[in-house]
Amino acid sequence: MIQHFVPTTLKEALKILDERDCYIFAGGTDLMVQKHRGSGLLPNFDKDILYVMNIKELDYIKTDAEGNLRIGAMNRYCELINSSLVPDIFKTVFKEIASPNIRNMATLVGNIGNASPAGDSLLPLNLFNARVVLSSVNGNREVLVEDFIQGVRKIDRQKNELITEVIVPKCDLNFYYRKIGSRKAETITKVSLMGGYKIEGGKIKDLRIVFGSISTKVVRNHFIEEKYQGKSVNELRARIDDIINEYDHELKPITDQRSTMEYRKKVAKNLLRDFLKQVK
Amino acid sequence: MKKFDTSVKKVDNEEKMAGLAIFTCDIRMDDAYFAVQVRSEKAHAKLKGIYVPKLPKDYYFISAKDIVKENVVNIIASDWPVFADKKVNYIGEAMGLIVGPDKGMCLYLASLCKGEYEELEPVFEMKNSYVHKEFTKGDVSKFKNAKKVFTEEFTTGYQEQVYLEPQAMLMYMENNQIVVKASMQCPFYIHKAIVRTLGCKESDVRVIQPAVGGAFGGKEHYPSLMAAQLATAIVKVKKPIKMFFDRKEDITYTTKRHPSKTKISAYMDAKNNIIGVKIHVGIDGGAYIGCSMVVLSRALIAATDVYTFENVDISGDAYCTNKVPSAAFRGFGSPQSIFAFELFINHLADYLKVDRMQLRMKYLVKQGDVTSTSGLFRDPIVLKELADKAMEMSDYKHKVKLYAKDKSFRGIGLSMFLHGCGFTGSGESDLIKAQLRIKKDKNGIVTFYTSQVDFGQGNRTTLKRIVSDTLEIPEDQVIYDAPDTNETLSTGPTAASRTIIIVGGLAAKAAAHLKQIWKDGEEQEIIEPYVGPSYIKWDEAKMQGDAYPGYAWGVNVVEVSVDPITYEVKIEGCWSTYDVGHAIDERILMGQADGGLAQALGWAYLEKEVAENGMFKQKTLADYSIPTTMDLPNMETELIDNPFKYGAFGAKGAGELTFVGGAPAFALALEQAIGRKVHDIPATPEYIMELLNHEN
Ligand SMILES: Cc1cc2nc3c(=O)[nH]c(=O)nc-3n(C[C@H](O)[C@H](O)[C@H](O)COP(=O)(O)OP(=O)(O)OC[C@H]3O[C@@H](n4cnc5c(N)ncnc54)[C@H](O)[C@@H]3O)c2cc1C
Repeated sequence: MIQHFVPTTLKEALKILDERDCYIFAGGTDLMVQKHRGSGLLPNFDKDILYVMNIKELDYIKTDAEGNLRIGAMNRYCELINSSLVPDIFKTVFKEIASPNIRNMATLVGNIGNASPAGDSLLPLNLFNARVVLSSVNGNREVLVEDFIQGVRKIDRQKNELITEVIVPKCDLNFYYRKIGSRKAETITKVSLMGGYKIEGGKIKDLRIVFGSISTKVVRNHFIEEKYQGKSVNELRARIDDIINEYDHELKPITDQRSTMEYRKKVAKNLLRDFLKQVK
Repeated sequence: MKKFDTSVKKVDNEEKMAGLAIFTCDIRMDDAYFAVQVRSEKAHAKLKGIYVPKLPKDYYFISAKDIVKENVVNIIASDWPVFADKKVNYIGEAMGLIVGPDKGMCLYLASLCKGEYEELEPVFEMKNSYVHKEFTKGDVSKFKNAKKVFTEEFTTGYQEQVYLEPQAMLMYMENNQIVVKASMQCPFYIHKAIVRTLGCKESDVRVIQPAVGGAFGGKEHYPSLMAAQLATAIVKVKKPIKMFFDRKEDITYTTKRHPSKTKISAYMDAKNNIIGVKIHVGIDGGAYIGCSMVVLSRALIAATDVYTFENVDISGDAYCTNKVPSAAFRGFGSPQSIFAFELFINHLADYLKVDRMQLRMKYLVKQGDVTSTSGLFRDPIVLKELADKAMEMSDYKHKVKLYAKDKSFRGIGLSMFLHGCGFTGSGESDLIKAQLRIKKDKNGIVTFYTSQVDFGQGNRTTLKRIVSDTLEIPEDQVIYDAPDTNETLSTGPTAASRTIIIVGGLAAKAAAHLKQIWKDGEEQEIIEPYVGPSYIKWDEAKMQGDAYPGYAWGVNVVEVSVDPITYEVKIEGCWSTYDVGHAIDERILMGQADGGLAQALGWAYLEKEVAENGMFKQKTLADYSIPTTMDLPNMETELIDNPFKYGAFGAKGAGELTFVGGAPAFALALEQAIGRKVHDIPATPEYIMELLNHEN
């Protein structure tokens, strides 16, 4: 018999996690699909379940002294979309995730925990150099989202750790975002790109580029980004083709039931060009 | 008849809005067993045997060995077995059922069952014909005098119906009858399927229709297979049994629209006059013929769309492939061939370097023209008026010139089309032979019965209005319930856009008849038989004569823009005009207009279903995308009144018509936007990228 735990304090939750191997259940919008067995049947959970949506301590959206945005593990897209503290570019991304009914249940942390190559919130999290806070009975540690997600459904989490918080540093850039799915709403990403840049005195102060659904995890290349820092806008614009070529080996999409390798690669490059053309 | 120009609230609005409507899965029967299909994993193999694990108490394995009389599903061709026996012909074909009290256990046991196969070479391409049809009109030997010949090929893909309610059936014994409640389109098809496989009496079976959540043709034949399987099981198990499909099973294993491949040639004389056209339509029927020969018929009859040519050579084949059988879907073959011909005639104009619209108008069908099957277009045709109106609504003439010049990745397309209403030829009088029962009690309460299923399209409302208005009594004095074969005589299937034109006409006639003999305070009952127009003469073997009792007409204009960075298409506008005879309830008709066009656009650019090695790749609604409201603009539709003398209050069919023209209008718009010719749908962004990679 599997057991269901519905702790109301973090302390309780961490204790349970320390004692047993549990599924961590937030909004359940990924888990319930993955464990679905058929209509009228209980889902296929083969381990105990820990529900995190009653831990009031994890329900907050706030900014800290350093200006970082801090989001508790319980916060759902619907709340984030309505919060004045959340940057607009995150809201743009969230509004294109699923449908209103799913956004009323699904959490940002769940999207990280699920570690899908098509997870949409992973793009801005990566681009903003966001970190997750992992808590256990032994204490807390912080990891960059970029490092936390290691591959398809592979994350850097110990069995007794709970993601309790997401920390999003301030990041004042001009943004570009396109999510390409098969239709205009409620669609899984075939390919996506987010870009951010800042220009000071005609020079690139900051340039960041992330791709979604194009590899086993979000693609970001710090080396290429840094190479163009300090360059003039004109030089960047003159070297758009070079930059696209530099990303070529990073873009390793697959052909599946939703799209083709050729399409994903070509569109990723088109989007990159479109973004770079807007840098001015 | 003034009353008909108003729209009323649909009779099922409230129960459906409030969630009170009882669908098959909502029917509580706590002692019912579950049935789960044991399916073939091979596309083509000899079936030497089936390994079945030792079953716990109360669990049964039902297979071909348990067939009572005939291992055949009563679908037109009678070639589809209830359970695969000695051979499997597609992945997913049912070899048996596991039946038992717990669904989870049934699924588990079914997963342990394994066919013992000896594999055979499967065929996935359209190369082995199992139905061939051909006919000509005029003198096709004149083709050899042609100075120019222009030939093109077109393909269309699978389409899944995506009714809201997946397939579901409940069967139980009551008063010595087998009772079926199911998500269905045709109660008497289910009834016949059970009688045939069991070899029992008609009175041994009762089919009752609960609320049905959509069908689109997908519940015309597949429920007959489920019914024959459950009937075989119930004889042995002697318990109520339910079989409910999940969405994934439904998408993966039930019937879909036939993929098609159409080749068209036009033969021109020295002055570029078209001497005639030659058309071949191939459809992928899947592992069993089922109803494919009828789908092929309709595709061929519609193959020259709304154009008249003196000399015509039309042929077609339904091909046997080792895939899930294709079957009925809104339009029933004609959307495939009309898509091809609408594009072809436009491409032909480009080839001949003449104005597209001028060429189309030159050959546009007129009243009195001979049809491709050498029948006659007898009734007034208002197609030119429909086209003019649609062009005006959409500003077509201006836009088509504008987008031809600029490179704005915008385009507009216009399609003209027709749909033959009712069954082919004299099928209504010879095969269906509808009979409608109407009765009245002492208090003047009128009850009538049809076998028509309202799966959301609104016929429960409209048929009731036809009767109450004919009798000139209030609607609440008329009782019209969902079909129950113990009460209802067959008025035929709910298919082929025949419900209003045929059954509506019959209901009006029966009501008029009752009115004539009406005696207050007495119980009265009439059984009214269908009598078709006497001029309809049809030879199915030769494909000659009048194919349909009447035709409905339409024009769609679609405007699109294409994103040159992502190759995504946005539908910018849709304008439609239709001649459905006289619309009895305009709002119900608008429901068909918007829904039909939305579904057609989905088929044209979004809905991609491909089979790889006999297995569908898109198995869920996450991977098989249908349009959402966000993908569609507001659709504007207008009707031109053109009453049909044999339909109820002048009505013709509308259910399928609204599907037929969406794809060609879309494709023509897309062609203009990207400056490339389109030959294949669905035109997904992946396909558009390919097109843009190559010159025309
Ligand atoms: C119809 C539909 C449409 C969708 N569309 C999109 C879309 O457009 N874009 C997109 O990116 N996603 C989409 N999703 C996926 C899903 O909604 C998101 O991934 C969502 O953010 C998951 O959040 P959740 O709270 O429901 O996660 P859950 O299902 O509860 O959990 C997801 C995973 O995260 C783990 N987890 C949850 N909380 C924690 C925690 N505190 N600590 C450690 N691990 C944790 C769980 O164990 C599980 O492995 C869609 C889903 C559906 C059903």
